[in-house]
Amino acid sequence: MHINVNGKPHEVESDDDTPLLWFIRDEIGLTGTKFGCGQGLCGACTVHLNGVAIRSCVTPVSAVIGQEISTIESLKNSDGSLHPLQKSWVKHNVPQCGYCQSGQLMSASALLSANPTPSDEDIDAAMSGNICRCGTYSRIKKAIKDVSGTMNAADSGIHPDEHLQHYNLDLAYEAKIR
Amino acid sequence: MYSKANTPASRSQINTEPTDSNTMEIETSRRDFLKVSATAAGGLTIGMSIPGCSNYRANEYRTDGSWSANAWLEITPENNVVFTLDRVEMGQGTMTGLTTLVGEELRVAPERIQVVFAGVANEYRNPDYGLQLTGGSNSLSSSWGQIREAAASAKVMLEQAAADVFSVPTDQVFAENLHCVNKRDGKKVTFGSLAKIASKGSVPAKVALTESKDFKYIGKQNNRVDALSKVNGEAQYGIDVVKEGMKYAVVIRSPFIGGELASFDKAQILKQKGVIAVVEIERGLAIVAEKYWQARKAATAANVSWQKPENMPESSQTILDLYKRAAEEDDGKSIVNVGDADKAFDSASEVVEFEYTAPFLAHATMEPMNCVARVSKGKAEIWTGTQAPDIARVAVAKVTDVSLNDVTIHNQFIGGGFGRRLSQDFVAEAAEIAFKTGEVIKLVWSREEDTQHDLYRPATYHRVKAALDDQKNVMAWSHQIVAPGIMDWYVWDASPAMFPWAPKFMYSTLGHAGLLTAGTPITPADHSPYEGADQLPYDFPSINVSHTKADAGVPISYWRSVGHSQNAFVVESFVSELADKVGVDELAFRKNLLKDSPRHLNVLMTAARKAGWGKPSEQNVYQGLAVHKSFGSYVAQVVDIKIEHNEVKLVKVVCVIDCGQVVNPDIVTMQMESGIIFGATAALYGEITIQDGQVQQSNFHDYPIMRMNQTPEMEVVIVESNEPPTGVGEPSVPPVAPAIASAVFKATGKRVRSLPVKLS
Repeated sequence: MHINVNGKPHEVESDDDTPLLWFIRDEIGLTGTKFGCGQGLCGACTVHLNGVAIRSCVTPVSAVIGQEISTIESLKNSDGSLHPLQKSWVKHNVPQCGYCQSGQLMSASALLSANPTPSDEDIDAAMSGNICRCGTYSRIKKAIKDVSGTMNAADSGIHPDEHLQHYNLDLAYEAKIR
Repeated sequence: MYSKANTPASRSQINTEPTDSNTMEIETSRRDFLKVSATAAGGLTIGMSIPGCSNYRANEYRTDGSWSANAWLEITPENNVVFTLDRVEMGQGTMTGLTTLVGEELRVAPERIQVVFAGVANEYRNPDYGLQLTGGSNSLSSSWGQIREAAASAKVMLEQAAADVFSVPTDQVFAENLHCVNKRDGKKVTFGSLAKIASKGSVPAKVALTESKDFKYIGKQNNRVDALSKVNGEAQYGIDVVKEGMKYAVVIRSPFIGGELASFDKAQILKQKGVIAVVEIERGLAIVAEKYWQARKAATAANVSWQKPENMPESSQTILDLYKRAAEEDDGKSIVNVGDADKAFDSASEVVEFEYTAPFLAHATMEPMNCVARVSKGKAEIWTGTQAPDIARVAVAKVTDVSLNDVTIHNQFIGGGFGRRLSQDFVAEAAEIAFKTGEVIKLVWSREEDTQHDLYRPATYHRVKAALDDQKNVMAWSHQIVAPGIMDWYVWDASPAMFPWAPKFMYSTLGHAGLLTAGTPITPADHSPYEGADQLPYDFPSINVSHTKADAGVPISYWRSVGHSQNAFVVESFVSELADKVGVDELAFRKNLLKDSPRHLNVLMTAARKAGWGKPSEQNVYQGLAVHKSFGSYVAQVVDIKIEHNEVKLVKVVCVIDCGQVVNPDIVTMQMESGIIFGATAALYGEITIQDGQVQQSNFHDYPIMRMNQTPEMEVVIVESNEPPTGVGEPSVPPVAPAIASAVFKATGKRVRSLPVKLS
């Protein structure tokens, strides 16, 4: 039983009901995705399931066996350069303590994948599930708007590694999401 | 450009009075002010120490009367600058700010400097406290002179070394971008290659700092040096630390405040999948398992019972009753006594009197409490995010057989401090579990635990009174504050940390001594109950401020802006009430009373102007304002609100700050935005309530935090100033609640005298 994370399959050793978050952080060792509340209330644990934003702290591993999970570590472009949102985050000096920002970026990238030119209301709706205790919301919104409309659909998705070629993926589904 | 003050001619003039905080010649009489040693690898290590005879600091810290040198700056043979940051980075921007100071004097871009987080050492103590704390919005102000001096000294010594190498006078050499350049022919040599020669030179007796007109980075550097690692998932927080052989621990703690473990079914818990140990610790019952989720599930399923303590804080209502009784029976300690308030009240035409309350508040850092601990062979290693690593060592020493100097703290990026991580309870837990089980332990708190086992911003009760004469002038202001003292809780670990040579059996005595000596040079007075209420900028002829101490037994600690967080609410709200009583617009009312407080007046009038005071942008928008000084900085805010669906909607906040010389302008703006959201969250939603001795809130559904769709538009204005820098981490929090409260009054006709704001 495996889950594909950032294009690589990982055998699942955790118990079935273990939240995906702990599988990602502790079993695979990808600590960019954060634990904030354990109840899907704060968004710090946001990852992509087949390109759609989900809260990994309330998603048991059993629910995503064989699926494609993308984390903050794979947000960068396939050539290693920063995703436009990451560049925009740095340009607008978004992060303060930074703990929520992986989740914020994953929610924002999923938003732009589905809606490359979101309105303020669209951004509020997509991002209000992500809490920032340091209050960086106004800069997050600015950073998203700076990127939106300037990205084409191909840039706005997540690019897994080449390894992806070897595994069964619903490529048609991927294209639909992007 | 090199400083002209470095020439031999200028050295004959000893300048002991700083004329400008940016150009200072510091005379040091002790030759070992900066002890220099070449590291084994050939790098130059400059020890920065706080000179005992520093003449611009009124409160100096001395241990045994001298500072032994240690390393803040290291220059490696590979030509890297490594800066040891001793004020933690928890979002407020110390990493960028202090690195900017180093970059300015070394003449290199801050981004080019490698930063490491300091371990515990006397040299890293915060000079304002005598403890290695980050808090109180003073990292820049307390480091302003010292960090720059030492970086400047390093630069001077490198230039001297280059002068030797080039065989030119020192004024023909200047340092820039980690090289020394020979002005005569443009030849360069790296810092790294000069390090060994420089280390054989002598520490300059005087060092001139860059003049403000020549600043290249101070006041100009906006980019955060930690931004990249915080957008690519690489920044490591305490909760991310992984160590070989690590096991996971969850602690079950008493649901009753102050309760004790009564019984538990050890066999039942050990039977749970993955559980390897069950141990009683001081603060509860620890379950250790192979995986975090296994520990968490075992804790949820565990059969455990708890004993209510004798003097349990029963409920929010009984706590308020306690405070009210205390107010009646105990006049408390007089904090301010100006003029003759009694006489004014006796002869008053009218006396205006109200009660105010403010609730307990949780810190709710996004990163829940956590700690990794290894205790073996008489040594302890701790990996965590802490605002007070020296106090963390005490906490570890108390629960293990390890002596203080054998405890090593590896500090990390912090996912939110706000004062929570000044307390070391979570470190003590992890250390005790590691000690008792012999395992390397990673302890992770759930959000529920984090909310219910916090050390809260204290709840307080206030009686405010004003005497008006027949012309409606305010003749007297009286404010009685009923509150516990945070130092009563904090001193137990903090006092021993001030005396690292003391044996463990003395810790309790030191705690008592800390309480007894409060208000003396040994222990600072506990201002927490009355700060923000005691230094009123207003021109009242008579002022009485008193503090009645009452403690319900609920754990408390420092919360962003501390006493100012509730006292600004009370003071500014009462000022607004008086304005209304007297029939004067609250801006005009304040303006009239701030004639002797020009910096308050300046930020207030600037905010009012920017916000279009008196002319709201649209119908149904109501405005409130507040001005408050805290941590050395002056902040005024004007809040525009609407009432929608019987809820307060924040439309816009204008915030003006006067914080002296600004080092990173955009970080000041970020901190204003941050404090506004933090303060608005508290004002509109923040409340920790207690019932049957238990904290009722647990997660973000019942302890809400402001979200993007509730965030107002914010406009921040920074007043230009050459005064030495003052704080920005906390000062934007206190004015928010009273500004909102005032706007709510305008909208509804109802005064807000308790928080959070409740419209129905």
